[in-house]
Amino acid sequence: MENILSVLIFFPLVAALLGFVVRKESIRVYGLTVAAIEFLLTLWLWFAFDPNNAGFQFIEYIPLVSDFGINYYLGVDGISLFLVVMTGLITLIGIIGLGDVKRLKNMILSLLVLETAMVGVFVSLDAIVFYLFWEFSLVPMLYIIGYWGGERRLYAAIKFFLYTFTGSLIMLVGMLYVAYIYQSVAGVWSFSITDWYALVLPISVQKWLFWAFFIGFAIKVPMFPFHTWLPYAHGQAPTIGSVILAAVLLKMGTYGFVRFSLPMFPDASVAYILPVAVLAIIMIIYTAMVAYAQEDMKQVIAYSSISHMGVIILGTFAMNAEGITGSIFLMLSHGIVSGALFLLVGVIYDRRHTKLMSEFGGLAAVMPKYAVIFGIMLMASVGLPLTIGFVGEYLSLAGFFRISPIMTLLGGTSIILGAIYMLSLYKKSFFGPVTKEENKKLTDLNGRELAALVPLVAIVIWLGVYPKPVLVPIDNSVKALVTFMEEKAQTPEAKAIIHVSTSTKEAK
Amino acid sequence: MLQPISVSLESLNLITLSPMLVIIGGALLILIIDLLKKDLDTSLYVMLSVLVLFVDFGATLSLGINERGFFDVMLLDGISIVAQLLILIASMLFIPLALTGKKFHEYSYPEYFALFLFMVGGFQFMVATDNLILIFIGLETASLALYTLIAMHNTRGALEGAMKYFTMGAMAAGFFVMGAAAIYAVTGAVELYDIAKVLQTRIAEPGIMIPVVGGALLMMVAIGFKVSLIPFHLWTPDVYEGASAPMAGYMSIVPKVTMMVVAMRVLGLYVDMGVESVRWMIIALAVVTMTLSNMMALVQRDVKRMLAYSSIAHAGFVMAALALDTTKAYSSIFLYYGLFLFTNLGAFAMLWISRNNKGHRYHPRYHHPYEKFSGLIHYSPAGAVIMAIFMLSLTGVPPFSLFWGKLYVISATVDAGYIWLAIVMVLNSAIAAYYYLKLIVYMFLKPPAPGIETIGINKSKPLVVIVGISAAVTTLSIFIMQPLLSYITYMVSVSGY
Repeated sequence: MENILSVLIFFPLVAALLGFVVRKESIRVYGLTVAAIEFLLTLWLWFAFDPNNAGFQFIEYIPLVSDFGINYYLGVDGISLFLVVMTGLITLIGIIGLGDVKRLKNMILSLLVLETAMVGVFVSLDAIVFYLFWEFSLVPMLYIIGYWGGERRLYAAIKFFLYTFTGSLIMLVGMLYVAYIYQSVAGVWSFSITDWYALVLPISVQKWLFWAFFIGFAIKVPMFPFHTWLPYAHGQAPTIGSVILAAVLLKMGTYGFVRFSLPMFPDASVAYILPVAVLAIIMIIYTAMVAYAQEDMKQVIAYSSISHMGVIILGTFAMNAEGITGSIFLMLSHGIVSGALFLLVGVIYDRRHTKLMSEFGGLAAVMPKYAVIFGIMLMASVGLPLTIGFVGEYLSLAGFFRISPIMTLLGGTSIILGAIYMLSLYKKSFFGPVTKEENKKLTDLNGRELAALVPLVAIVIWLGVYPKPVLVPIDNSVKALVTFMEEKAQTPEAKAIIHVSTSTKEAK
Repeated sequence: MLQPISVSLESLNLITLSPMLVIIGGALLILIIDLLKKDLDTSLYVMLSVLVLFVDFGATLSLGINERGFFDVMLLDGISIVAQLLILIASMLFIPLALTGKKFHEYSYPEYFALFLFMVGGFQFMVATDNLILIFIGLETASLALYTLIAMHNTRGALEGAMKYFTMGAMAAGFFVMGAAAIYAVTGAVELYDIAKVLQTRIAEPGIMIPVVGGALLMMVAIGFKVSLIPFHLWTPDVYEGASAPMAGYMSIVPKVTMMVVAMRVLGLYVDMGVESVRWMIIALAVVTMTLSNMMALVQRDVKRMLAYSSIAHAGFVMAALALDTTKAYSSIFLYYGLFLFTNLGAFAMLWISRNNKGHRYHPRYHHPYEKFSGLIHYSPAGAVIMAIFMLSLTGVPPFSLFWGKLYVISATVDAGYIWLAIVMVLNSAIAAYYYLKLIVYMFLKPPAPGIETIGINKSKPLVVIVGISAAVTTLSIFIMQPLLSYITYMVSVSGY
């Protein structure tokens, strides 16, 4: 199946349109089936993928607006492959974990449309098609937060939409400028990323284009000081919304850095390591401290998300293979772990309709299975060795060590601070005596919730112990990327810093 | 004794007049039918008008490009043909909106349709000439007909709007004539190619810039009135609110496209000659227009008024392209309006569907307050989704049509080196997103309003078909972009822009 990427993009969309016909009573099974088929298709993509080929595979190319260089151009490499697989997995898990919500049909159809947009972002190799999916993903998410969210859902939904919309419009101007330069050099219009890679931009142009793209991506990540929309979005979104948001939507931003900023503006990226790293470290420390101060479990995890995204940014801007490989692995692991944590908070919220830690205490005695799974995910989030969280965090920080040991040390506080706020959350909610009367009768995880969570636990431990099947394809593509950046870099400083590592093998 | 002037019929090249002859003949035909037999139904006149427009469309398509005729007064260059086609498509989509579920006063008169066709003829004359006098005649023919059409809606608001529009329009016409006179005084010509020739030779003379730029300034005021640029926009929201919804939608497109073409010809001449002050005036007007009208749209409580301000903002957005003086920029204007036409007419048609003919129902002051659409998704999912598609398209969310229009306009701006202007444009798009989203929020996320079940009160098959066509074009526009873009670019570049 050479056109598997198109199938992956349009299968959920077609399914969503057909789903309008399916009756309300059967929609859950319909949604589950569609998401399961989509996930199996992503697995198929993984098995058909050649891990030794670092370039793009399964390429599809159909001209859309040839006079203006817009093409339907898809492809997948080691960097995007697992993000696609994770999108399929998280959507499936999310739909399994979906409790009884109002208007379930609308929810499931919006999720399927959202899945189309998310897969589209990761496999597009044309900037405009990328932008199309990138923007379109806002629409179903707006509906999910705005309709099923909490008290202040409208405010949160609109803030989310406007913030990201503004950022990406500025990125669009940057894209149009790159296309213009390409046109003036090559004589034809093209928005293909691979064509853009070949373009060697003057340093001064790179510098401002870097910031144009940076705003678009940084708001999505979200980096300090653009992060203020995220706590609202998470705080108000329904469980499934938070799961998708944390697991996949935020990764679009970091993926954008790897896909666009680094290879297109290598000199500017190196020149701006310092400000970006400072922002990332502020993000890590500041939001970790904010997380500690929260009283709402969901907010703790929301802020911890931002904090971990900071480590991903550090890894990406390490400019060497370990760092970038680590950051991509961390995107996957953070997706799985934060997705699972939001699901877990959703479980307790369904039962008690509150997320305040002060309302709980001693849950471990009442809900032992829940406490165990929560504990494992919490350890993975903190980055305990032999869990999935450790590999990415270690590699990212090890990569950045080459740039600046001091900043790596500061970034590494993420692990310590993470342990502090997560363990205190765990202590307040799970240990001690059961203080509230209502908590004594809480039921443990039911079959549906276990079905959603157990696979995630398995993945967390499997990839924590043996990450090689995932790391090898990522590493191949990343090495190709770093080699390419080193060749393309113009300034000697950039060439010196971009490091094609040989030590990655030892790290594994 | 005067020498008889001998003019051969061939040299008149009367074929250049054929589209206007068709439409004027059609209008007269409607009047004659009305004379011969009374009490014919509206549907007959609607379909006759569509047929006349259709023949006109064919006649326009068959015209040769870059021909002159009728003592060189008529000019059929690429942009005039593209503009005429846009006018005709919009008119063909507009006229069937008269076949409503409820009866409205104005459609019971056959004269309504005759006037409408005369108006279209006037607009066609305006774009198919570079003679300032003929432009003025076309403008007046079209405008007088338009004032009457608005007034025929026969509500207090409509009368007020028509009067306001008439007064403002008369003033604009005055400015246009004064501008033309100033230019004539300097150059002794009323035809733009002659004017260009004379200006070319005299541009270096000391002191000549005052009347030349002054003339442009007066013209710009007239254009600003008609395109409704800030600060000449004051009539727009009231007139749109008073006029029937489809008429408001029509006004947001056709008069603006024609005036845009006039602006291209007149102001384009200056920009092309390198008169920087005119270029900066256009940019300043465009920036002020989009920014302020977006701000004002934010605080509107009526959807129709919001759409009125939004159409001002869109006009400002497109106006910016006028200052760039590149083929791409001029093409982007037509591309933008070609896509805007379907989206905006569709949005206004949706308002029309929700309109009753018994006055205000939901709000003492407004016909279409936001609250009216609250929770629409629960009663009319298809209607809410289609309206949301139009709103997302106006916002500029891909893959809907206006995204491609915006993309192309911004790209033209970036190419011309005005990156700061491109940034202003995208920031404005971001501001605009708020008020379009507000309607979506009302429709999808708020609980249903009382009386929501009557929202489709004015629905009829023709209205649904028109809305359906608009929604289909808005959604699937990516597939027509390539042919549309290459046709428009070709037509603009053969016109020498």
